Amino acid sequence: MTATLPRPVHRAAPRLRRDRRRWAWGLGAAALLVWSLAGAGSSGGGVVNPGGTAQLARFAAAAWDPALDAPYLGVLARSVLVTVAHAAAGTALALVVGAAGAVLVSRAAGGRRWAARGLLAVPRGLHEAVWGLLLVNVLGLDPWVAVLAIGLPAGAATAQVFAALVDEVPREAYRALLAAGAGRPAAALYGLLPPAAGGLLSYAAYRLECAVRSAVVLGMVGAGGLGYQLALSFASLRWAQVWTAVYALAALSLLAELGGRAARRRLAAPPPSPSERRDPVLTAAAAGTVVLVGWSAWYLALSPASLVSAGTAEQLAYLSAAAWPPATDGGLLRTVAGLAVDTVQVSVLAVAVALPGALLLAGPAARAERPTPARRVTGALVRGGLLLLRTVPAPVWALVALFVLRPGVLPGALALAAGTLGVLGRLAAEVTEELDPRPRAALAALGARPVGAWLYGVAPRAAGPVLAHALHRWEVAVRDTVLVGLLGAGGLGALLATELATFDWAAVTTVLAAVVVLTWAVDVVSDRARAALR
Amino acid sequence: MLRLAGVTVRYGGTAALDGVDLTVAPGERVALLGASGAGKSTLLAVANGSVAPTAGAVRVLGGSPADRRVRARVGTVHQSLELVGRLRVVHNVNAGLLADWSAARAAWSLVRPQGLPEVLAALERVGLADRAFERTERLSGGQRQRVALARLLVQRPDLVLADEPASALDPVLADRALTLLGETAAARGGALVAALHDPALVRRHCDRVVGLAGGRVVLDRPVAGVSAADLGGLYGAVP
Repeated sequence: MTATLPRPVHRAAPRLRRDRRRWAWGLGAAALLVWSLAGAGSSGGGVVNPGGTAQLARFAAAAWDPALDAPYLGVLARSVLVTVAHAAAGTALALVVGAAGAVLVSRAAGGRRWAARGLLAVPRGLHEAVWGLLLVNVLGLDPWVAVLAIGLPAGAATAQVFAALVDEVPREAYRALLAAGAGRPAAALYGLLPPAAGGLLSYAAYRLECAVRSAVVLGMVGAGGLGYQLALSFASLRWAQVWTAVYALAALSLLAELGGRAARRRLAAPPPSPSERRDPVLTAAAAGTVVLVGWSAWYLALSPASLVSAGTAEQLAYLSAAAWPPATDGGLLRTVAGLAVDTVQVSVLAVAVALPGALLLAGPAARAERPTPARRVTGALVRGGLLLLRTVPAPVWALVALFVLRPGVLPGALALAAGTLGVLGRLAAEVTEELDPRPRAALAALGARPVGAWLYGVAPRAAGPVLAHALHRWEVAVRDTVLVGLLGAGGLGALLATELATFDWAAVTTVLAAVVVLTWAVDVVSDRARAALR
Repeated sequence: MLRLAGVTVRYGGTAALDGVDLTVAPGERVALLGASGAGKSTLLAVANGSVAPTAGAVRVLGGSPADRRVRARVGTVHQSLELVGRLRVVHNVNAGLLADWSAARAAWSLVRPQGLPEVLAALERVGLADRAFERTERLSGGQRQRVALARLLVQRPDLVLADEPASALDPVLADRALTLLGETAAARGGALVAALHDPALVRRHCDRVVGLAGGRVVLDRPVAGVSAADLGGLYGAVP
């Protein structure tokens, strides 16, 4: 006789039931993708422009031969300092705004979720470059323009992600503390924050990296620094200089990334300390960050006075009066609606192209526990490639795509897909790195093939977080579509650029409202989808 | 079946195993005893190939545990179970067959579970057949332990390794779980090596006791010859 464990009274025979909600979301996503593909193909008259291949080849060839003459390097070095200062000051502002905002949005804090979200949707819905162009009209050519343009939208995004990270922490410990009589803030401090700390810090470091990119993009619309040099070189077809600027950018991003990673590791596994003293390395890093932010404020000559000067107030009052009420004539509204459809299609295609790429590259990009030399080289190459993809601003990718593609949905989608792949690939690699390695090791111990161990031990746990990241990237892609348009690639951005250039403030308000509503709608849809994934 | 010769495992400066010699013959049911940190889990991890020894030689079923085909014949119930909470129970049980499956079959099985009759029979034996399609994370600790047992049952291993397999079960279930492990090993003429803490379970289900302390084997004799003082010594109690 064989032993069996006792079982409860047998109910009906078990059946495999699919989660209908998730199937519905999957079908919806597929439909959205087909619709977007149809949009990309329907732009009329072929999408490929064979005439530009020679220029593309010259551009690509210059990658091996960047400009290294002393005068240009000197100019570039000063530009790097400006970009670093913009990024550091902007990130500091973003983190302050984000931490405060997270308290409003978090489920754990019992925040007024939808009200707070509505409040965050406005700063978050507009791209840094749009903020830059608006703020220039209020503050004039003031260094605050770049800092606020980075800090306000990034702060709103940070608030949302911080809240999501805290909300995704398992709640048992937190509830146990509440049950033991702790107050909400204390319970959150001991039960929610420590498990979320790694993610929060990682995101803060990622934000610094984003800020470097934002600072470059702001440079491209006129705030100075690396982006300005990049735009100048691109406009004058000096490909060697373009690549030097791109490499400088990649080095900056890499520094931000390595710094963030080192701090994250140190926090996750502090070295054993015999005394109660704080970790000297982390303390030095924190002090260094504070010094960097202080230096940035000094280097940029940020003065609080210019934010509250009479001139600023006067200009703000004038703009507010000119921009309200928004223009509502039928022609403009029809144009805006048509361009909004383009924007959604571009963003959907960008994520649809980037997500499979990110999933394929996440494995090689993740750091292995005991890598072979070959694995180490592959990993470094993939990570370098992803870094380059996300470092080069989307408008530059769009210009590159326009060498060989005719203007339309496709070049915009490919340009955004490049940056999205760079970010999503890295995030997916981090998700796999942070998973508990034991289930996969257990499967390896019972003889599973590497693919089988990955499918059963890694993929089911990584799928949710990676899809959540992809949905976040969709929201970002919508905003980036506006940026690419702003620099000439069509869509809502191009319309906005025209209205700004002609000082038609009422129409500007209409376009901005459309952008905010669009971002908000995508945000709501993606939030529901994430909830279905949990 | 299992042969360790002078096996040492170092983590940084500390030795988790220190020159361990151990031979387990077919049909034996060996209890590993020792205080926490004595090296029981490391010994089991060396035997199933999860940890490579710093020094010494390991032979399992006549081969090396680094060989995937050898590992396929070694079944392990891990201390923290190592199940994937987001997968349905049926998939976690099916994972026991991954060694035999191609990558394509493994992937397809996540869409349409393969070998269902076998999985359901295994779940029936551990009393969980009616939870087969539930997400594993919705199960209680004891139920998850039984899922891990079911995974072992479908694997049909020759050598069964178990790291505190009864820790989340009540006394009756613990007793039956050990019977199940012993039968699984015996079904193919194999051996059972289980890290245990409960002397009653050891006496009922094992015929040999190997005591570990500080990474060394300090006791190795038939279960009948183990006294209360021996156990007290292993757990650092004053006799």
